[in-house]
Amino acid sequence: MEDLRINSIKRKQKIKLIVDGKKVTAYKGETVLAALIASGYKIMRTNPVSHKPRGAFCGMGICFECTMTIDGIPNTRACMTEVHEGMTVETNDQK
Amino acid sequence: MIKNNSRYNIIIIGSGFSGITAAEILADYNFSILLIDENIHFGGQLLRKIPEELGEYPSEKQEKIKRVGFNFIEKVKSQKITLMNKTILLGVYENNEILIEYNRKKTFSLKYDVLLFATGAREKFLPFKGWTLPGVYSTGMIQVLMKSSGVLPARKMLIAGSGLFLFAAAYEFLKNGGKLLGIMEQSPFWNKIKFFPQIFHQSSKFSEGGRYLSKIYFSKVPVKYQRHVIEARGEKSLEEVVVGKIDKNGELIKGTEETYQTEALAVGYGFVANIEAPQLAGCQLEYSQEKGGWIVKVNDSMETSQDNILAAGEITGIGGAQKSLNEGKIAAHSILQKFGMEDKKKVAPLLEKLKKERKHHMSFVKCFNSLYQIKPKTILGIPDDTIICRCENIDMQSIKNAIQMGCRNPNSLKIFTRCTMGQCQGRICAPIIYDILQILCNKSPEDIGLFSVRPPFKPVTIKALQNIHES
Repeated sequence: MEDLRINSIKRKQKIKLIVDGKKVTAYKGETVLAALIASGYKIMRTNPVSHKPRGAFCGMGICFECTMTIDGIPNTRACMTEVHEGMTVETNDQK
Repeated sequence: MIKNNSRYNIIIIGSGFSGITAAEILADYNFSILLIDENIHFGGQLLRKIPEELGEYPSEKQEKIKRVGFNFIEKVKSQKITLMNKTILLGVYENNEILIEYNRKKTFSLKYDVLLFATGAREKFLPFKGWTLPGVYSTGMIQVLMKSSGVLPARKMLIAGSGLFLFAAAYEFLKNGGKLLGIMEQSPFWNKIKFFPQIFHQSSKFSEGGRYLSKIYFSKVPVKYQRHVIEARGEKSLEEVVVGKIDKNGELIKGTEETYQTEALAVGYGFVANIEAPQLAGCQLEYSQEKGGWIVKVNDSMETSQDNILAAGEITGIGGAQKSLNEGKIAAHSILQKFGMEDKKKVAPLLEKLKKERKHHMSFVKCFNSLYQIKPKTILGIPDDTIICRCENIDMQSIKNAIQMGCRNPNSLKIFTRCTMGQCQGRICAPIIYDILQILCNKSPEDIGLFSVRPPFKPVTIKALQNIHES
């Protein structure tokens, strides 16, 4: 999958996240949302009313479209959470 | 870590330009101060940069105002102010009490002597068919992605909406190697020309704007005016965007449709103030189209109608960093006066000078916000099957039906349709619902009124609330 990271930025520390059971590479200092988008994820959750896929929208904690289970805490905004080594992420994408 | 039920002399909500400025001044005095911010990093929406732990960005000359802001953050960090990031304000109560949540884990009930709201602004949106598709982003989101995490939203993108912020987002995207398909501006070109005389008075904004425009010009990005997004299409995520031309009244001209193949679309239609917390605190609000819609009413010392509650920055009128810097200073000095800590000889002339500067900023505010007026015909033209409330999936038809049935104010509309009752609590759709109500009911914003606000402002887990009675 294509990496959307801006390559003029020299990144320091590579880490691994477990996203829906799969290993995803991220870098210390990124938000969960940025790490997901960088790795090609677009769908963040399924809307509970329409059951249609939703992606992130505001990216700054307002719209709650990127809420997912992060380290076991449900409905956590991916855009407001920093990644850390071994973090487990379950998107709310119900396919 | 802070203790539950503590009391602080000053609590500042928000570390954007006005909050951080006030904190920087007040830090020199012997107060107990708490500054909270919901974000990971301090500095609000403007003062964003690649975090040190992430990596290094090739150096770029920073605007002076940003250098000032980043210096304030460093200074505040080195002082005895209690700083809390990842902290959400959940409620404001009687007897000078607030409830906050830290990092999704713990809540704290706190008391203040003086409270300063510096809660800033958020983007406003105009719904169109398919705006809920993954791949449709706000212009703010793409800025945050690039500036705070160094990630592009996509390799190729289209930008649409209205205002100067579209050009700022375009500049950042092009600078980082993105391919921009075009900028589709809702308002006509002459709207921008009206703006130029004002811009000369704000020289820093002029050079900023010039930098954006030259980059866009030399990258040969098509910029089209009076363009409106008709539909975003795609199976599971965005594949194409249909754009059409609108006339001077905001009505779509048939036969002008153009289709752009793109996996990403960024949209933004101006800004609205984050007034929810001051509203619950009982601060008097006012509606002013030229100040950016509903804002917190303040006197020239930045005091709200509530005792010991002040407000500064975008929530008193959408106007940018210079205005926020100025208001942060005024707020800090009027707080010093409240505590009798001001240097009596110096403060009076200083405040007079700051208040004079503020008048100047307010005239810019007026011009800035005139750029963002969405025409009533454009709002009326929203198709019936377009989702207005994203969380609860309430479409335009349901809103129109409820209005026809007699819902003439936000709260009855909410009860009938469930609009604004989702996770975002109306932060995305409420501003456009106010516009729809005004136009369809033919009433003034004051007559329409506001959705009621109740704590908790944002979703909180029961687990995080468990420790609230511990001391």
